[in-house]
Amino acid sequence: MSPTVSASGLSLRYGATRALDDVSLRLSPGVTGLLGPNGAGKTTLLRVLATAVPADRGAFTVLGHDPGTARGRQEVRRRLGYLPQTPGFHPDFTAFEFVDYVAILKELTDRAARHREVRRVLDEVGLGDVRGKRIRKLSGGMRQRVALAAALAGDPAFLVLDEPTVGLDPEQRMRFRELIATAGEGRTVLLSTHQTEDVAMLCHRVVVLAGGTVRFDGTPAELTARAAGRVWSSEGRDPGALAGWRTGLGTFRNVGDPPPGADLLEPTLEDGYLLTLDGAAAEVTA
Amino acid sequence: MTYEDRRWHVPEEDLRAYARGGLEAPALWSADTHLTACAHCRSVLAGLGDPVALDAGWERLDAELDAPRPGLLESLLLRLGVRDHTARLLAATPALRRSWLGAVTAVLLLTVAVTVGHTEGGRPTLFLALAPLLPLAGVALSYGPRMDPTYEMAVVAPMHGFRLLMIRTVAVLTAGLGLNGLATLALPGYGLLALGWLLPALALTATALALSARLGPVLAPALTAGGWVALLVTADAVGSGGPETLAPFTAAGQGVSAAVAVLAAGLLVLHRDRFDLCRDPAV
Repeated sequence: MSPTVSASGLSLRYGATRALDDVSLRLSPGVTGLLGPNGAGKTTLLRVLATAVPADRGAFTVLGHDPGTARGRQEVRRRLGYLPQTPGFHPDFTAFEFVDYVAILKELTDRAARHREVRRVLDEVGLGDVRGKRIRKLSGGMRQRVALAAALAGDPAFLVLDEPTVGLDPEQRMRFRELIATAGEGRTVLLSTHQTEDVAMLCHRVVVLAGGTVRFDGTPAELTARAAGRVWSSEGRDPGALAGWRTGLGTFRNVGDPPPGADLLEPTLEDGYLLTLDGAAAEVTA
Repeated sequence: MTYEDRRWHVPEEDLRAYARGGLEAPALWSADTHLTACAHCRSVLAGLGDPVALDAGWERLDAELDAPRPGLLESLLLRLGVRDHTARLLAATPALRRSWLGAVTAVLLLTVAVTVGHTEGGRPTLFLALAPLLPLAGVALSYGPRMDPTYEMAVVAPMHGFRLLMIRTVAVLTAGLGLNGLATLALPGYGLLALGWLLPALALTATALALSARLGPVLAPALTAGGWVALLVTADAVGSGGPETLAPFTAAGQGVSAAVAVLAAGLLVLHRDRFDLCRDPAV
């Protein structure tokens, strides 16, 4: 089965900043997590794959189409759903009107069919009852679901979600995770996130990006396994650890190369992620 | 005779078409709305159509009732014959909102008042200088990442960015030029000279759009407006400062404006694919 996205050697610079450096990856149906610290290049990669921004170098196809050509780009966009990091809204629109507006941009011009689709996606994200409410009167979590509904309009085969759980409270985050899991059934979802819990709960695959390069590409279990034998507990912060933090039990959890006889702990996905970032880990946990 | 007997009802011919699913908008919307409130027409309809088509009609009516009522601008556009999806796209245009149109109207009223009250020069120079800038500002406020909150979603949508830009530009220009035209009617004493803003307005707007393909939607209109002001100041300095018409508003100047408008429009079409991608990758 051919992958939904096949990219090789993607590079992009903003002035002196190297945002992407020789990124290659293949995405297939299911939810793939894109983990990385601030400035890792996650949003840039998502914008490139969503055809918003062209790469300086490299090539990629989405659903067999080349976004480097105007025709290929349009074909990709017809089957793409995109939720940006900070989705903007026309505040005077109702939830229905906003999703309807995005559906029109997606070329759903037949009024009756479009309205059916708008109702379907709003019901799918659990906002059927508030579709007539002005967006400015909705909570942050509800707005995020409106934006997800807009991304889902037209039943896209490739869904790009840029940090959709940022700023949501735990209950909203859990609700959103359920929606993403449902959205990932039968389609390819690329989910950018800071939260390793999102990846652990949702993703069949995870890509770690740092400094514009891919540091890891595999399953969450494989990322976790990277930390096997490299996580230990101590009474104080171990100066030899790559990263360490006090836990709720009062002891320190250290990640790195343990000293002989260390009290080893069961690794988590976050431990594997921190070790993968290596030098960036201290910065991340500071 | 009851109220129900006296009021207007959907013509039977329209009801037959409605039952067949063949009634076109806007008569369709009118029938939809009326049927929700009129038991008489509902009963007539029930006796006309075949059950399958009628069920489809009820389903459509149900969906219609479920959809929110369009706002003032959208309703106006629909009445003017604009298709519903285009009206929705235009309803999201900042420069078509009441606040912007009100501000433009206020500026024009003030300018006309100053022009009418300041007759010794014999020329409506202030009005002619300002009027071309208003449509330019309106168009500049209608697109781009800083003006359109949904810019990023719009860029990755299959509708070509240039098409969306043109839909908004035509609507904003129509509104802006219309308001300018109404203001011109308040200056009948100047004859055709009072229309001297029209070609410069088209030239400035087209130039700003053509430049924005390369310079972006903020810098391009700002440079274009600055260039216009500089041109007028230079024309005033080159002239004697007397009551003669400034060069851009003479016949020759109007010809230049027309040529610039055509040239800029050509360049804009040539560079239309630039509007299909984010200009600033960091946006």
